[in-house]
Amino acid sequence: MLRLHPFRYHRPTTVEEATSLLDELGPDALPMAGGTDLMPNMKHRLFTPEHVVALNGIEAMRGVDGGGKAGSLRIGALETLHSVSVHPAVRRHLPGLAQAAGSVAGPQHRNVGTLGGNICLDTRCTYYNQTEFWRRALGYCLKKDGTVCHVTKVGRKCVAAHSADTPPSLMALGAKFTLAGPRGTREIDAANFFVADGVLNTRRARNEILTEVTIPVFAGRRSAYRKLRQRNAIDFPLLSVAVVADFQEDGIVASLKGVVSALGARPRMLTGWEEMAAGHRLDPGLVQALAERAGAQCRPLDNMIVDPQWRRAMVPVYVRRALEGVA
Amino acid sequence: MSGPDDSGRRGQPAGRGESSGGGGPGGRARPGSDGFSAIGRPMRKVDGLDKATGRARYTDDIRLPGMLHGKILRSPHPHARIVAIDTSPAERMKGVHAVVTGRDMPVTYGIIPWTPDEYPLCLDRVRYIGDGVAAVAAVDEDTATAALEHIKVAYEELPAYLTPHEAIAASVGPYIHEPRKEGQNGNITKVVKLAFGDVEDGLEGADIVVEGDYFFQGTTHTPIEPHCAIGMADGAGKVTVWSATQVPHYLHRELARVLGLDPAKVRVIQPPVGGAFGGKSEPFDLEFCVAKLAMKTGRPVKILYTREEVFYSHRGRHPFHMRYRTGVRRDGRLTAVDAQIVMDGGAYASFGLVTTYYSGQLLTAPYKMPAYRFHSTRAYTNKPACGPKRGHGSVQPRFAFEVQLDRIAEALSIDPIELRRRNFIGSGTRTVNDFRVTSNGFLECLDAVERSSDWKAKFGNLPFGRGVGVAGSTYISGTNYPIYPNDMPQSGIQLQVDRSGRVSVFSGASEIGQGADSMVAYIVVEELGVPLDHVRVFAGDTDFTPVDLGAYSSRVTFMLGNACIQAARRIKRQVQEAVARVWRVKPGEVLLAGGLALRAGDTGVCMPIREAFNLAEAKFGTLGATGSYNTPKDIHGEYRGATIGSSPAYSFTAHVAEVEVDPETGFVEVKKIWIAHDCGRALNPVLVEGQMEGSAYMGFAEALMEEQIFKTADQGRAGLHNAPSLLDYRIPTSLDTPALESLIIESVDPEGPYGAKEAGEGPLHPSIPAIANAIYDAVGVRMDALPFSPPRVWRALQRVNGSGACPGRAPQPRFEKMPAAPWREAHGGRVGPGRGEGRNGA
Amino acid sequence: MEVVRLRVNGDERVCGVPAHYTLLETLRYGLGLTGSKQGCDKGDCGACTVILDDRAVLACITPVLEAEGRKVRTVEGLANGTELHPIQDEFDLNGAAQCGFCTPGILCSSVVLLERNSSPSREEIRAALAGNLCRCTGYAKIYDAVEAAATRMRR
Repeated sequence: MLRLHPFRYHRPTTVEEATSLLDELGPDALPMAGGTDLMPNMKHRLFTPEHVVALNGIEAMRGVDGGGKAGSLRIGALETLHSVSVHPAVRRHLPGLAQAAGSVAGPQHRNVGTLGGNICLDTRCTYYNQTEFWRRALGYCLKKDGTVCHVTKVGRKCVAAHSADTPPSLMALGAKFTLAGPRGTREIDAANFFVADGVLNTRRARNEILTEVTIPVFAGRRSAYRKLRQRNAIDFPLLSVAVVADFQEDGIVASLKGVVSALGARPRMLTGWEEMAAGHRLDPGLVQALAERAGAQCRPLDNMIVDPQWRRAMVPVYVRRALEGVA
Repeated sequence: MSGPDDSGRRGQPAGRGESSGGGGPGGRARPGSDGFSAIGRPMRKVDGLDKATGRARYTDDIRLPGMLHGKILRSPHPHARIVAIDTSPAERMKGVHAVVTGRDMPVTYGIIPWTPDEYPLCLDRVRYIGDGVAAVAAVDEDTATAALEHIKVAYEELPAYLTPHEAIAASVGPYIHEPRKEGQNGNITKVVKLAFGDVEDGLEGADIVVEGDYFFQGTTHTPIEPHCAIGMADGAGKVTVWSATQVPHYLHRELARVLGLDPAKVRVIQPPVGGAFGGKSEPFDLEFCVAKLAMKTGRPVKILYTREEVFYSHRGRHPFHMRYRTGVRRDGRLTAVDAQIVMDGGAYASFGLVTTYYSGQLLTAPYKMPAYRFHSTRAYTNKPACGPKRGHGSVQPRFAFEVQLDRIAEALSIDPIELRRRNFIGSGTRTVNDFRVTSNGFLECLDAVERSSDWKAKFGNLPFGRGVGVAGSTYISGTNYPIYPNDMPQSGIQLQVDRSGRVSVFSGASEIGQGADSMVAYIVVEELGVPLDHVRVFAGDTDFTPVDLGAYSSRVTFMLGNACIQAARRIKRQVQEAVARVWRVKPGEVLLAGGLALRAGDTGVCMPIREAFNLAEAKFGTLGATGSYNTPKDIHGEYRGATIGSSPAYSFTAHVAEVEVDPETGFVEVKKIWIAHDCGRALNPVLVEGQMEGSAYMGFAEALMEEQIFKTADQGRAGLHNAPSLLDYRIPTSLDTPALESLIIESVDPEGPYGAKEAGEGPLHPSIPAIANAIYDAVGVRMDALPFSPPRVWRALQRVNGSGACPGRAPQPRFEKMPAAPWREAHGGRVGPGRGEGRNGA
Repeated sequence: MEVVRLRVNGDERVCGVPAHYTLLETLRYGLGLTGSKQGCDKGDCGACTVILDDRAVLACITPVLEAEGRKVRTVEGLANGTELHPIQDEFDLNGAAQCGFCTPGILCSSVVLLERNSSPSREEIRAALAGNLCRCTGYAKIYDAVEAAATRMRR
């Protein structure tokens, strides 16, 4: 059986303890929440930390709180994807997020995998998520132990795909992430959290922990999530689309946001939508125009084992279907 | 059914059996209206509760005192010479007990005696990424894994062949294997050309000839249990190997031969196997390695494959490139069939010689073909070796042929089910290639799926996007000849009766989940009248059980079932005779049923079966009997190759699949598959349904999603498996699998046990063409290349609707078409069967 | 080496294992509870599914120290003494276990479902088992068994 490398296991019970551990232990330590991504990656020797800092014992990082601050929902980063997907407040106010959380992997993964872990999920690529033996036979790749990107062949930049389900929804919803570090906490907009570098695609510092997610809640706001995958469970997205729409009382679009992901290292906030949609009805003609605009902005690469032309052609289809989910 | 006390009622037929009158008080079966007391009843499996409680001990669940763990070092190159191996740094490591390489076992083997082309570990050449090079035994798995890093292997890379067409076109070496004769192409495993009747005449006389090219991708078995083996040497020359194998007997022979041991001192034990599907039906490197490492260290050694290694060991479905020409008269009757097939065999022969024959030989029923010929070529390539997967060699041509029939039906405006009826070959007949066909319930299968699926209302009438499709097929109930020529029985069994009333069954067959152990227990219950929970089945241990050739080619129920009936009736006669003397009646008047011996016509006269056994033991001595089965020899033609594909009985199947296609995305949702299967007689309908459903599921999986893909040099590394994991090699989840409805058809075969034939492989075949034909009915595109994954269906729809969705891009070739001429002749591949092959029947 | 305390199937167990062992390795090789199976190495197949504090989890990607002090139920602990869990009996009666290798994991996922939902629909059963791959049955007989067990448990 594929086995883990030897490591030391730390189980702090407070955020402070966890961040100072990460700070003290330096680059040989990695934080772990549910571990459903990190454990397979460690079995593949993509990470071989000497220290694993398990966060599951930190009670302060749990809970869904909709009453404390008016107009927002706070979700502790350790809430499991299952609990996020079934939480009544999330389902009522943020159905797109509930759909995204409920579509991650399989039921057992969602029982353990956390919202914070999903946000910090490592990027994925057909040349990367493989065993040590496999990667050696390949000659390794730019993201790990090698010098060549087998996807672009020429580039010096890793194009492994952002493959988490919840961040597109969180970005479209205008969520903020709270990061705790050894020198205190900071907030960052979900939209600014990701960077276009497949090797390390977030702005989380090595010694920081994502502790909670705050999501604004507006009356009448609608959201939807659509995921392209070949099986109806277990699979990572080949394409993901989140849309969030606010409407005036007369049904005219007040605001519209869309995020497309699983194509490159960073989820892409679609541009030009507000101009096209604000002040109009979200009728089939507008939906189609928005979907086509989205299609023009997205170019999937060969970073997954799937026909890239098909994946590209699915962008406008899935964007349209997501829009139909809020229309 | 209720409550806790159920656990004490193990002898009783399950749920539905009670309502059909099979059950009685005290868990004893009594005869039903069909004259059977156990056969045909839904009964528990003898190992069902072991599997539902975690008690069943699979190979990796066994832990022996002092056991070491082994790991195998594998080649990172698709094709290379081994220049040097230095194992000494690994041997010096703390915790490492032994390292072996190819030089420790320099004897070739192969499951087919005519094509031994593998070494347990590569000697001087590696032929695919993942080929075994050296093995380590260490104190634990982590140490063994670490030790692999310290074995230094120098390779000299050779050009790799990735497609069969490249391999066949090669004219100079180095070939993948040494040519058998100078000037031949060593990249060819086998060429078979057989012709029956006048094909040219038939095509000429046809009203229409439908011609098509088809591609069937490679798929792999994917049992949930990875291969595992444990070796133990006792120091006195005896070697024991536990292995997750479906062929303990062949493993026994090869272990003895390759390791130079006296077969009488080799023991193979087959614990419960966690799925096989053909993927564990020949010896693998780990079995030789655990034995050799155990011999070297004096300690038991276990090797458990990682999932990645399971993908490299493979032996799954061959990719087939196929061209069919089918001639037909205006009334729908076939006139001739002409097939050309190029098979991608991977790095070793495996069962490939047989696959090459099967690719043509197994197509000749259930339809009457006046003339037929096929020309099949199996090429080696530098990828994991292909072999037998459920429906060995005949699933691919069946896909192509049944799509051909659908095209013919359309061209002639004949209902596809009606077209199949018109070509029905019948029962009690011979096929065009001279195979004897006994029972044949194919028409009843067609009727059943037509009725249950509401075919007449649906076909051609569903809205765009929805459709139904039909397909039929046949399969063998075992091969008529063993893999190595011999005249001994194919199946053997031994029964022993205890004074307590318990019957022990020593069965050589391999329980791999299909119910082989339960099947013999039901026969004992039927013949000797004991309750099911008084039967113990001991199976798959070459020290204790008679030889059975293994769980492959759907042979077990037919062959072992007949052997078991013979043994049971030998004991039954003794019991009847002993009881008859006491009752002063004729032996034939003594019935054994429901835990009792009863007097026919006056069942008030009876005694517990144990007393009857005791009377028999007093009269005849210790009660026991053996039974065996061998095939009839007059059931095939006399031409070379005539034995390969011949079987004592054939099963027949028809499926209707209903699909919904999303024309925008290419997603195909299979809503339901109706499966009608002629299994002769269902010895236990629950288990037969399980085989039918599992088969249809597996075909569905190949139809829609499964694919063994290998990277090209352009994609980073030639011959590297694209995704050797259960995440990326996608097998269907519960949310993907369609509703399945089983319709059992019983034609009662004259030679099968109580009339039974196979059920484990046949029902896979029609799934794939039925789905392809349903897609055509739904959206009007012919899927001629597998899998029907969303991108492929989407592309097919794009081609039909114009290439609107891929602006500025050249249309992609759908699959590599059959090359026109060059592969056909010469190239040194042998034509027709070689010496001795005529007797080979695998 | 770590000394781990696990509450397995109602027993308090103490086991010395290296910190990098998974829960599955500890159960199988440390405690001899070999009912839970290893199929895919890394959380893709569900054969290793056990019940950790009333939730179905994948033991092959659960670090053993994550289970420290928590309640673990495996296939060996589903029966109540000599009384089988109805799902176990129904698996046998319905032919839901063929090779049996995915069975322990599917039983654990099913038990969690039945504890939360006494009359699950077929769609709910399909969804609950979506992380457990079975290669033998096509799932049909498994659904039959879960439904039959639910019926029995409601009585």
